[in-house]
Amino acid sequence: MSENKTETKLPVPQCGYRLNTIYFYLTEGCNLKCRHCWIAPKYQSKDAKWPALDFELFKSIVRQGRELGMSNVKLTGGEPLIHPDIDKILDHIREQDLQLTIETNGLECTPEITAKIVKCKKPHVSVSLDGTDAETHEWVRGVKGSFDAAINGIRNLVKAGLRPQIIMSVMSRNKNQLEAMVKLAEKENADSVKFNLVTPTARGEQMHDAGQTLTMQELVELGNWVENTLAPSSTIKLVYSHPVAFRPLGKVFSQASSRCGIFGIIGVLGSGKYALCGIGATVPELIFGDAEKDKLEDIWNNNPVLNDIREGLPSKLHGICGDCMMNVQCLGACVAMNYYRHKDLFAPQWYCEEAQKAGLFPKSRLRPGSRFE
Amino acid sequence: MELNKQYPIANSMIVFREEFDDWAVLFDPDANETFGLNPVSAFIWKKMDGKHTQADILKLLKEECDDVPDDAPVHIKGFLADMEKRGLVGFEQA
Repeated sequence: MSENKTETKLPVPQCGYRLNTIYFYLTEGCNLKCRHCWIAPKYQSKDAKWPALDFELFKSIVRQGRELGMSNVKLTGGEPLIHPDIDKILDHIREQDLQLTIETNGLECTPEITAKIVKCKKPHVSVSLDGTDAETHEWVRGVKGSFDAAINGIRNLVKAGLRPQIIMSVMSRNKNQLEAMVKLAEKENADSVKFNLVTPTARGEQMHDAGQTLTMQELVELGNWVENTLAPSSTIKLVYSHPVAFRPLGKVFSQASSRCGIFGIIGVLGSGKYALCGIGATVPELIFGDAEKDKLEDIWNNNPVLNDIREGLPSKLHGICGDCMMNVQCLGACVAMNYYRHKDLFAPQWYCEEAQKAGLFPKSRLRPGSRFE
Repeated sequence: MELNKQYPIANSMIVFREEFDDWAVLFDPDANETFGLNPVSAFIWKKMDGKHTQADILKLLKEECDDVPDDAPVHIKGFLADMEKRGLVGFEQA
């Protein structure tokens, strides 16, 4: 696959795929209680602390990852910036010259932490903001004061010279705030806004069941409006996280690929377990081993789930994804979530499946002769 | 390659779908490959019927579009060569 053809002096691992990025889900706890979270970490407060990835183990995993070609790390959670050794982790990432991505709620983006982040190689930070006012954001995030703290975190990042991406998870409660969020992001000197869709996974599934998410018709219409009206009118980049089949061709083929880099990724949970990604927190069969005793190289080369994915994507995708002409670009959007719903690595993506049932899947993206035409 | 002596013809096995914004997608079912065509490339593709030379296509493009650049023939030639390399287009000689 093309994303694994990076030039490097290291030999390609035996499985034929370089490891590009490790997603570190650094903490089992989180300092917010987001009602849509797809991982559902435990709430961490002054009174309740939860395990976090051991720093020595982190260094060992990084060393093993580098031997497999890894050049990027993503720190996420839980909430990565509440890790007790986050200072040392950021220093180590800088020393190892690894490209850094962080997904954070922004609360702990202090001047001291942001100063360390900006020293890393090509840092990219996404801060979650789910409303343009405290009432909306905190209804989603479950903790008073989190709106002001997130805004403060964004400002600290900008002051340090790093323009963050704002990620807004779109749901019924905030669907009328998208344009205002873009204005807020422009005013705060953010780099971009990404609109995420609440997926029917973990707590997000409860929101779907409770009718707190958008209907498929609303999601599709909102996507079209963001892509074709809101994005051209903004001074910053906007991303609406619907699958490739719903994106304008001009964006699919003229912008950098937005598909999941699944052929070059592995996840590490706060417990030190290797997993497909954070989904391992809720789906035990997608845990691949334990970094305390298993070698990353063995897992990367020999894990049967990883090898099934390498062999089967995209050709074994079925349902609407099997009949979609864009499945090479999309790879089923998110194998982890598809598996969560159907216990099948090659099951169709929920958004496309629901859109097809509602008669909203774009016919021009279907293969000729599709039973869905 | 003489612009007026070859008649490009699209591979009939390739699926062509034009969309609302005049972009189009090409799909090769055998290779499971998808290609995006911008509006100008989509326009050219639709004229590759074995009846128009490259010079004809350039003329039609100038009739259809404003501000066609002077080096358009070079781009058309490059586009067709790329399509041929990918097995998406063949040529019939005059």
